[in-house]
Amino acid sequence: MVTRQPGDRTLPTLISLLVIGVLLMTFDIRSEGGGVTGVLRSGVQTIVAPLQKGAAFVSNPVVDVVETLANLASLRELNRALQAENAAIRAELVASRDDLALLEFYERFYELEATGSDLGRTPAQVIGQPDAFDAALIIDKGSSSGIVVGQPVIDPSGYVVGSVQRVTPVSATVVPITVGPSGVAVAVGNQTGTVVAQVNTQLMRLTLDNAKEPVFAEDRVVTSSGSVRFPAGYPVGVISADAAPSGDSLTADVVPYAQADTLRLVIVLAWPPDPISAVTPDTTTTTSSTTTTVPGDGSSTSTTAGGDG
Amino acid sequence: MRLRPVIFVSVFLLVAIVLQTTLFSQTEPFTPDLVMLVVILLCLTKTRPEGLLGVAFLAGLAVDLLGSSVLGLRAIVFTVVAYLAIRTKDRADIGRIVTGLWAGLMTLSGVVLLIIVGTLFGQIVLLGDGVVDRLFLVPLTNVFFALVFAPIFVRLIDRDPTAFRYV
Repeated sequence: MVTRQPGDRTLPTLISLLVIGVLLMTFDIRSEGGGVTGVLRSGVQTIVAPLQKGAAFVSNPVVDVVETLANLASLRELNRALQAENAAIRAELVASRDDLALLEFYERFYELEATGSDLGRTPAQVIGQPDAFDAALIIDKGSSSGIVVGQPVIDPSGYVVGSVQRVTPVSATVVPITVGPSGVAVAVGNQTGTVVAQVNTQLMRLTLDNAKEPVFAEDRVVTSSGSVRFPAGYPVGVISADAAPSGDSLTADVVPYAQADTLRLVIVLAWPPDPISAVTPDTTTTTSSTTTTVPGDGSSTSTTAGGDG
Repeated sequence: MRLRPVIFVSVFLLVAIVLQTTLFSQTEPFTPDLVMLVVILLCLTKTRPEGLLGVAFLAGLAVDLLGSSVLGLRAIVFTVVAYLAIRTKDRADIGRIVTGLWAGLMTLSGVVLLIIVGTLFGQIVLLGDGVVDRLFLVPLTNVFFALVFAPIFVRLIDRDPTAFRYV
């Protein structure tokens, strides 16, 4: 039971505010985040971002210490496993040097031109998340660092994280692909399809169109050249279980590589490459080759952007 | 509202927003909804109910402006939660544990409403991994924070050292 005094204006106030709230929601959805609401967002985020940066600067080391203490036992095990993995990868690297030298020889022999694309990369620190239910990431770089809405975001390992949804001069909001409403065009082997987020799970749903072959657990899912949101070839995740085509289509679950909620650092890619900024010398993004497979070479015979090597 | 409580409430809300979006975004699975908690605890003070609803609306709007979901969603949710809290606050002033449980119950109603209204408006970003767990863990964490901070918060806002002494 609730209590209500005579002459109480609480209910009319509530109704008025609810009406204003619904109008705001409708207006925001119809203006797709632009217009007045976009300016409002930008203004508030510009004010709060420096405070968030300061708070993150103080809280991150504290959280790191607590996490380290809590995970001390498992960290030792993880360290041993990583050392073993590191040794195996070093062995593979040594073995691949012969192949790379051979490739370089053939490139020179046939006078092949490198066509690799240089993508601007802007490393940014994750300074927070809006709340427990909003999985978006707030990063400490914004339009003053060359970031624009729609740019793809990867983690330091090159795994796809999401894309930039909103930008202010000093911060940006990144929506991970694991919660974003838009799907991502991907490729598994030589088959193409789409992955979309699912409700209440980290797994993403893969749908392959015109599927002819089955997919197997641990098969790699990468962004495809048909994607308009991400450059091709960036790893998204792995297939969680074997799946066979049913008719022309195939559906399977994908375990994403990037764990957005644990990220501290992300990289915003200047993609699609802007021909104007490419020739502007005072661009604020740091440019590095993403298609390099040979240290010091900086070239590739494929137009596919790398990061999945 | 006089000037001093307005300043106090504004500072509390700003601190809650900054802490929620930074420190407490890394404490999963025990993540509180600090801004909603401040709104709920404000309802225990002697602030005018109409003013409380306005503060709740603005606090929700501030969180909306910082997030990726639609503008006005949390503004609506926080306003409804504040209304529920205003109507039921008489039952919260019994003891510290009851106050905590009441705050948790208000938070639970808030997060359930957030998910329902968010889903109706197509906000899939709210329905990510572990949403069902969060439905219960966020209110539980708020219970803890309310147990610890509710009395001191009310005393500070009302400038009444005798408030919430539970004698």
